Amino acid sequence: MAKERKIGAYICRGCGIGQALDADRLEEVAAREGRANLVRQHDFLCAPEGVETIRADLASGEVSDVVVCACSGRAMTSTFRFDGVAVARANLREGVVWSRARKGESSALADAGSSDSSERGEIPAKTGETTGEAEVSSSERETMQEMADDHIRMACTEIRFMTPPSPSLEQTLNRTILVVGGGISGMTAALESARAGYSVTIVEKSATLGGFAARLWKRIPDRSPCEAPVDPGIATLVSEVSVHERITVETSSKISRTSGSPGKFKVTIERCDPASGDDGSTGSRTETFGAIIQATGFTPFDPSHIPELGYAASGDVVTSSELEALALAAKGEALVRPSDAKPIKSVLFVQCAGQRSSKPGHLSYCSGYCCAASIKQAMYFQDADPSIETVVLYSDMRTPGSGGEDFYRSGQSRGIVFTKGETSAISAAGEGGGARVRYRDLILDEEVERDFDLVVLATGMVANAGVDSEANDTKTDEPDTNASAPAAIEIPVESILNLTYRQGPDLPHLAHGFADSHFICFPYETRRTGIYAAGPVRRPMDIAQAREDATGSAMKAIQAIENAGRGRAAHPRSGDLSFPKVRYDGCTQCKRCTVECPFGAIDEDEKRYPLFNESRCRRCGTCMGACPVRVISFENYSIDTVGQQIKSVEIPDETENKPRILVLACENDAWPALDMAARLRRSWSVFARVIPIRCLGSVNTIWVTDALNAGYDGVMLMGCKSGENYQCHFVKGSEMAQYRMTKIDDTLEQLGLEKERVITHEVAITDIERAPRLINEMERTIARIGPSPLKF
Amino acid sequence: MPEPVPGIEGAGTDQGVILVVGGGISGITAALEATEAGKDVILIEKRPFIGGRITQLYKYFPKLCHPVCGLEINQRRIKASPRLSVLTMASLESLRGTAGDYTASVRIAPRYVNDRCTACGACAEAVQAEFNDEFHDGLGLTSADRSHAASDDSSGDSSGADPSGDSSTGPLKPARRKGAYLPYPMAWPERFVLDPRIIGTEDARRAFDACRYGAIDLDMTEETVELKVAAVIWATGWKPYDAAKIQPYGYGRIPNVITSLELERMMDPLGPTGGKLVRPSDGLPARNVAFIQCAGSRDRNHLRHCSRICCMVSLKQSTYTRERYGDEGEATIYYIDIRAIDRLEDFYRKIKSDPKVRFIKSKVANITADPRSGDPILHGVDTEGYRRYSNPHDLVVLAIGMQPSVGGDDFPFEVVVNRDGFIEPDPRNGAIFAAGCATDALDVNRSVQSATAAALRAVQVVNAGTMPGLESRRD
Amino acid sequence: MSENNNEMIERYRGNFLREVEDNVEEGEWVKMCMQCGVCSGSCPLGPHWDFGPQTLFMMIRAGKRDEVLAAEGPWMCTSCYNCIVRCPRELPITHIMHGLAHYAVRMGLAPKNQPTRKFSDLFWKNLKADGRVNELRLGISLYFMHGFVDGIKTALKKAPLGLGMVRTKRMNPMEFFGGHKVRDRKGFHRMLEKAEEIESARIEKGPRPGAE
Repeated sequence: MAKERKIGAYICRGCGIGQALDADRLEEVAAREGRANLVRQHDFLCAPEGVETIRADLASGEVSDVVVCACSGRAMTSTFRFDGVAVARANLREGVVWSRARKGESSALADAGSSDSSERGEIPAKTGETTGEAEVSSSERETMQEMADDHIRMACTEIRFMTPPSPSLEQTLNRTILVVGGGISGMTAALESARAGYSVTIVEKSATLGGFAARLWKRIPDRSPCEAPVDPGIATLVSEVSVHERITVETSSKISRTSGSPGKFKVTIERCDPASGDDGSTGSRTETFGAIIQATGFTPFDPSHIPELGYAASGDVVTSSELEALALAAKGEALVRPSDAKPIKSVLFVQCAGQRSSKPGHLSYCSGYCCAASIKQAMYFQDADPSIETVVLYSDMRTPGSGGEDFYRSGQSRGIVFTKGETSAISAAGEGGGARVRYRDLILDEEVERDFDLVVLATGMVANAGVDSEANDTKTDEPDTNASAPAAIEIPVESILNLTYRQGPDLPHLAHGFADSHFICFPYETRRTGIYAAGPVRRPMDIAQAREDATGSAMKAIQAIENAGRGRAAHPRSGDLSFPKVRYDGCTQCKRCTVECPFGAIDEDEKRYPLFNESRCRRCGTCMGACPVRVISFENYSIDTVGQQIKSVEIPDETENKPRILVLACENDAWPALDMAARLRRSWSVFARVIPIRCLGSVNTIWVTDALNAGYDGVMLMGCKSGENYQCHFVKGSEMAQYRMTKIDDTLEQLGLEKERVITHEVAITDIERAPRLINEMERTIARIGPSPLKF
Repeated sequence: MPEPVPGIEGAGTDQGVILVVGGGISGITAALEATEAGKDVILIEKRPFIGGRITQLYKYFPKLCHPVCGLEINQRRIKASPRLSVLTMASLESLRGTAGDYTASVRIAPRYVNDRCTACGACAEAVQAEFNDEFHDGLGLTSADRSHAASDDSSGDSSGADPSGDSSTGPLKPARRKGAYLPYPMAWPERFVLDPRIIGTEDARRAFDACRYGAIDLDMTEETVELKVAAVIWATGWKPYDAAKIQPYGYGRIPNVITSLELERMMDPLGPTGGKLVRPSDGLPARNVAFIQCAGSRDRNHLRHCSRICCMVSLKQSTYTRERYGDEGEATIYYIDIRAIDRLEDFYRKIKSDPKVRFIKSKVANITADPRSGDPILHGVDTEGYRRYSNPHDLVVLAIGMQPSVGGDDFPFEVVVNRDGFIEPDPRNGAIFAAGCATDALDVNRSVQSATAAALRAVQVVNAGTMPGLESRRD
Repeated sequence: MSENNNEMIERYRGNFLREVEDNVEEGEWVKMCMQCGVCSGSCPLGPHWDFGPQTLFMMIRAGKRDEVLAAEGPWMCTSCYNCIVRCPRELPITHIMHGLAHYAVRMGLAPKNQPTRKFSDLFWKNLKADGRVNELRLGISLYFMHGFVDGIKTALKKAPLGLGMVRTKRMNPMEFFGGHKVRDRKGFHRMLEKAEEIESARIEKGPRPGAE
């Protein structure tokens, strides 16, 4: 450390801290053990006058780094933020005073009866009243003071190993966007980005722009009153894109290589002459882009392998996309039967054809747009000749929202018949052409067999999402659930982006072959920073939704560019300027970091060392947690900022009957849950020492072994739910941590310790009652198995 | 084709400000996406805290995760965004000017607590008056209370209520809160609020005296501020349809008929029942729960549109009975069409495979109450095969429809709306861009998508004023 | 009647929905039903029907002409209007039911011994004669609806009630011999004839303009 560091510790006496704790003793701990150069007490530190005190000390140079000994680090965050200054927080208010035991010598031991309620819905009534004037015994005061002393030690230690993060020197602000796919989503994304001032290149595989929508006769309406099909509007869109000064279009082209990271993606665009065969590359060029939008759309589901749909059996059974082609060719004239060109007098639309079924070969999901699409297509017939009978055979009509219901009603008013039923077989009708359909009418509860001149299969969308990186992942020794992997027909999939990333060439898929998405709160967040999916490649959707989606993805791409240009992290640690730093001389090239990074941010260089891509990094610290030789750290979060905190805690002699429990709590869910529990004056063991961590994935097992070696009696890890419905904000962080912790048993055995001393819990942010209870349970466990034999 | 960005007139050289109206998930998302791309944003929210409807939900479908989990991340993003200002208890009074150059009049209601508040809670301890807690959406109120809930003042400072009491016996009592309060434990800004009904009473003085930090300001008055903004994102969200208007379902007359939103409050471990799933009439366990779909939606007597989310909400809530009562819990879903689109279908399939969840294709005709047991009895016809039923249940949950929060003539500006009251994208709207449920009945995922798109539309207006070469273009 | 029926079958060739739209009062609304079933569930006489309105609408769409026109359902409607009030698609269900019943009679397919249908016939005959409903005659013809012996039995059973009504001047026995009539009976009959003529002409001409 070049600069001399002067630590200033500021102890707040407000919010009950002053009454419950001996502030002078805290001051002494900060000065003597915390080695703070300057310690001040304040009655109301977060007030402008308190903050001014700190600012003055910083300005005068008396202090360079600040330890705020007041409330939780989640409170008053912006108040206690000083630009370019490292700040550590000692959580005296929520962590000690508000969550302290109220009765008896120690919390859980005395509290056992009341907190022993079952998991399901049995929540003990609120106990005790608010702030701290209640009578407390001197021994209770002492244990609480010890808790506070430790918080001071922890924060003062943390600050010594922390430096204020500053951007690296590798940022590039590159305001250009690559859009892959020239369909309606891609063109919309390009136009919307260009309108915001960004330059765009569209790379389209085929010879023309337009994509699937260009092959439609009409589209589903999206503007009130949503009564009739409307023009797809492709021509207008194509011409807008073509003339826009900030949009470059590369048709008959594909991406043969993508490397780099947000702000500096290096992309090789290969021009292919469709005339000269499959791989007729006619030259390539490499360009640099700030961000990428993947709008590669979908392929209509091919029903030919499902015999009961009769697609192969009769020429008068067509898919909905084939019907569009017929309608486009007919240009509003009456359609004729494909088999014999005779007039069509009856049409049946079979909804959910090959969809919404777990039968092999079917799509299990609902493509969402087909109900409205069939109504639209039935209107083609009704509008040409009202005497044509159009029947829609459905299991649930799915026309949601404001416009959807209008369109359904409009279809009915035009005479389309809607029948709730289940198709069992479709076959050729015989000599006269047409198709014979057997179905069960669910309303009239009867089997029906009928001939129709034409049967339209409302088939679904299959995403063009490229290679599923996850599937190809070398999951060497991960906890696997491979048993459920579908044994579908393996069709070789061509990569779309051809990423040179260590973790695979395309965006990982989330489910059913659609490109990754966080799905509820943050639908655009993929696991490849700076690359966003838009349109039906992300989720089945219609044109109106795809345009909205593409606009949103353009926003994210722009944001990724601006963040990368400033060295700021993207969601969810938006704005974090720290990034992983590696001590390469210690690296053993074990590749754990490159494998475990949930965002595929780490590649390997020529010498097989991990290559960190700063602007791809989300700063979760999973690499740090994964590293067995502990050479990865962040300026403001490292093996030492946590590890040394753990060691700074005073471990009482085993004769004192004061166990120490280390709680590593995920700052996203478990920690806020504890904060809120404290606000509601729920208490947890005074023997617990809670340290917030970025993600369970960042927990390095050295912290656990160090804690046990130091004489802690128990270690608790609190992180988010993992698995299919994961709630980890870094997707796989908690999963990785849990996997690592399955191996801790060996360590415990080597140390001669009981397995119960280390426990991992999945804790949700709403576990306001449960989280403290879990800590108290741990205290009881320790009481049962006795103090750690490793205390010195 | 309608263009989202109109011609920009008279944009200045300084970067314009984006005003986001509404601090629910859509407004928060729009504000964050814009500010994290380097824009100056002001977010105004009518309530004393941000988060909107989602703060009152127990779980999200289909992951059954907790809404405040995503909110925590968003709140942290807000704290880390120096170019985003949040004004609570604020509403847009009027908007003058043209795209790129608006003047917004924002009215800020008095909180009576200034930013010196540390959220220590001393004021709440000192104040004696209690009021029905609006956070719990009327749950536990009688029908008379419900209709007065909005302008409740009669129930003033009753001391009879016992919010921490065990409600497992006897009728459900409404949750109460103090006259000085934090709306809910994770409320942000983390600052208390004084209920205006205690102003001028002894309680106001008690709150003032209890605060050691000078944070109580009883002289605070309503103020109006003028803001120069380039674009407006309108994200005022939705409100539930008034269930009492669906006369045959007896909401308000039959105590064991509640709305889907009320069920969410009931499941909250910190809610009026402490997370117990019970019958409001007698506090007994509600093991056998009926869900009525399209309660107000897809109905020309009520809301013409489909509210989109209600099918998924009921599928989600059917898991609540299992969560609380295991194999004793059962659910029956009365529906017209189950609308579980895309991968939500997986969730539907999972619920369908649960033998304790029944699906009946039927719009329930009416509900009567068994005078002895208090059981609501649902009458109707299962249309699949024409089977008549009269099914008793412990509790009925109306999957209540969604309507825009602001409707009709209540917009503080001219805007194009469709006949369901949702804002249409239209060039005539100038630089006013709707986001989330102000545009259509949407779920959270689609609201976020919509808000992110709206953010870009606003960014385009701002950039048109600052990026060279942009203002010349009229796309 | 059955000639009429054959003609209609010929004209619509199995498209019964279109036939109903063209010929049944408010029939153009049938296609708007979304099969929620609130009408069937709301009908106070529902438990006594063979098919409720929603099922009838589905049967119409499925082309079940004979079953629909021979159904008892439409005759069971008491015009309480519960279904109309609750229908989420605002179908005038009550009117459609009456329309179906009327059309079934026209086609000669209405159930022969359905009591409501019989009552309607008697009521119409009674009304048509003098332009006024003769309640005494209508009552008596109802007693004898199921044959002479049955009629005598019913009449004897109801005698005390009838005498009581006479005593309290609620009923005039002289009505049996004529009773009051409209002033211009001939004109009244001409009106009815003209109305029937118009309706027949309409049906022969075929489709009317649709609804919505």
